[in-house]
Amino acid sequence: MDDVKSQLRLDENEAYEETEDTGYHPKAFNEFERWFKRQTTIHGRRDLKDLLFKMLLSVVVIIVCMPFFMVLIQVGTVGMGVLLGSGPGQGLDFFLSTPGPGLQGGVLNAIAGTAYLVGIAMLVGVPLSLFGAIYITEYTRPGFMRSSVEFAADVLAGIPSIVFGAFGFTFLVIYLRIGMGMLAGGLTLAFMMIPTVLRTTQEALRQVPMSLREASLALGATKWTTTWKITIRAAFPGIITGVLLAMGRVMGETAPLIFTSGNNLGLPTSVTGPGSWVASMPYTVWSYISDPRNYVNDKAQATALTLMGMVLLIDLIANFISRKVTRRLV
Amino acid sequence: MDRTNCNDKSPDEAVRRPNRLRDRIHSLKNSIRCFIHEARTARGGARVDFLGRLGLFIPAVVSIGIIILVLTFLWYESTPILTSPEGGPGIIFETTWDPNRDMYGIAVFIAGSFMCTFLAIGIAVPLGIGAAIFLSEFCPHTLQSVIRTIVEMMAAIPSIVYGLWAYVVLVPFIKYEFAPAVQSNPLTAWMPWFGGSSNGLGLLAGGVILAIMLLPTVVAVSDDALRSVPKSYREASLALGATTSETARSVVLSAAIPGIGAAVILSLGRAVGETMAVLMVTGNSLQIAYSLFDPVYVMTSIITNQLGYAYTFDLWRSALFAVALVLMLMSILFTGAAKLIVKWGMKTRGME
Repeated sequence: MDDVKSQLRLDENEAYEETEDTGYHPKAFNEFERWFKRQTTIHGRRDLKDLLFKMLLSVVVIIVCMPFFMVLIQVGTVGMGVLLGSGPGQGLDFFLSTPGPGLQGGVLNAIAGTAYLVGIAMLVGVPLSLFGAIYITEYTRPGFMRSSVEFAADVLAGIPSIVFGAFGFTFLVIYLRIGMGMLAGGLTLAFMMIPTVLRTTQEALRQVPMSLREASLALGATKWTTTWKITIRAAFPGIITGVLLAMGRVMGETAPLIFTSGNNLGLPTSVTGPGSWVASMPYTVWSYISDPRNYVNDKAQATALTLMGMVLLIDLIANFISRKVTRRLV
Repeated sequence: MDRTNCNDKSPDEAVRRPNRLRDRIHSLKNSIRCFIHEARTARGGARVDFLGRLGLFIPAVVSIGIIILVLTFLWYESTPILTSPEGGPGIIFETTWDPNRDMYGIAVFIAGSFMCTFLAIGIAVPLGIGAAIFLSEFCPHTLQSVIRTIVEMMAAIPSIVYGLWAYVVLVPFIKYEFAPAVQSNPLTAWMPWFGGSSNGLGLLAGGVILAIMLLPTVVAVSDDALRSVPKSYREASLALGATTSETARSVVLSAAIPGIGAAVILSLGRAVGETMAVLMVTGNSLQIAYSLFDPVYVMTSIITNQLGYAYTFDLWRSALFAVALVLMLMSILFTGAAKLIVKWGMKTRGME
């Protein structure tokens, strides 16, 4: 026991000498080793329990993280097989050709469709919810009305995506007679985006210190100048993060699109009417995986891999912005 | 017309809140008058200010209008079934779903959703809270950010990808490995929840994939709650001689209980509303499951599967919207409960 203790103390003293010993003990590893020793030094029953509890929890963490890698490996191996292959609709062809006869081609229709749908959703949903949130946070007084609007937005954000699909189908497609297609699909996605973006924008604006606004107003700026030049600029990283996260979420949604955007094995030819039906990546994954043909199933996984890559990329960018840019600005 | 008291209110009006109807009407009138006055006289910076406010006001009204529209539309669409003799509010407790014979009992789906959800919560909550405790209390810094990134990425993966994985990996595993192993082992074969034949699609697959999808939410929100516990609490406990795990269990965890409760409720809401992954692996059969291998039909699946056929039949469609209404009521319930728990926690824990 004493041995370990003295070893521990020695390690701590060695920190100075370690600097000469270049490269052999990387700092992170040395720190980890010391941390590990501190964790495993046992003095009695309570320490043993302590250690066992920690070991249990580390096993739990491994279990929690495992599904991520299992999904990644499964989708990645099959998907990469298609993306790197050289058959029909494989390799670069996978991104650049439409399915064609027997679904042997690529999934250009799905990628383009997702781009159209997300584009429409962003075009409609983001300005509405962003400016709406700015008005609600900056221009209205807190009170019953405001908190009930916030509660309604929270409730709507918690409603399942298929309910939005049912709403979009019944209200937009049937009652308003827009018809299925990219307009109805994009609007449904926009409706899904509104509550989330509204709430995250509000949250970002609330984080801006009051003193910034007061300073600007005290210098004689109008409310508009203050809001536009000071408040929004300070809250910008938070707002962008919220928008990107909502975009990533909307990109992977299947259920709202089943009844609103239709499906299409080619590219859409018009904005309204039957020519505007579009495929989307999640919908393609769904319909391809229930196909009995093997190569179609593989394409489903490759599409899933592409979709996952895009969503994770957006997520990483959002993360990067919220971490790096926030620190610089505030 | 030169009313200059538009910006600064008269002192008694500022102090006294407009309680009575007459006061309210008066203040509304006054604000409209001010609005017109401003629109006519504002110049330069003031005009930009005015137009900017107007430009923000319209999106605010539209987005609030859309939110209210969606919520009331569900109510409006489900009224036919709730008022007709075939349906009525009693459909929540009836178990026969047969639109061809005008029987619209939605209890099967509610039961299916709840079984799936509770199985998922039972798996995800202990694991998630354990991982969150490890992450915020014991984890070395270098590992911390890695695990946090992984958890965030897990939350970002679309549900269809999880569904795909479950359909391709989990379902065959349950069908060919798990079910035969459990049912042939004399230690577990007698258990009623392992009974019945399995084709892989069923309650267990749905519950497990839901649990996997809930984990990131539970971990992230509980981790936030644990991290917001003041450092002084931990230091006090450690100074009294408690080990780090004792501190974590009895001090930090109990201080963070409200946040963790909110995490559980939020994930409950997400679990009930999950659509695609569950649709793909639960088997979708109109029965109440008695064993883990039995197929179930959840609320979101019935809407997905039947809305396409139902839209020409008013009652049928309305019954589906009644299911959606139940989902909305649950969302209201969960959101409200989470808010109440957080508020209660802030009051009793004395934090901020």
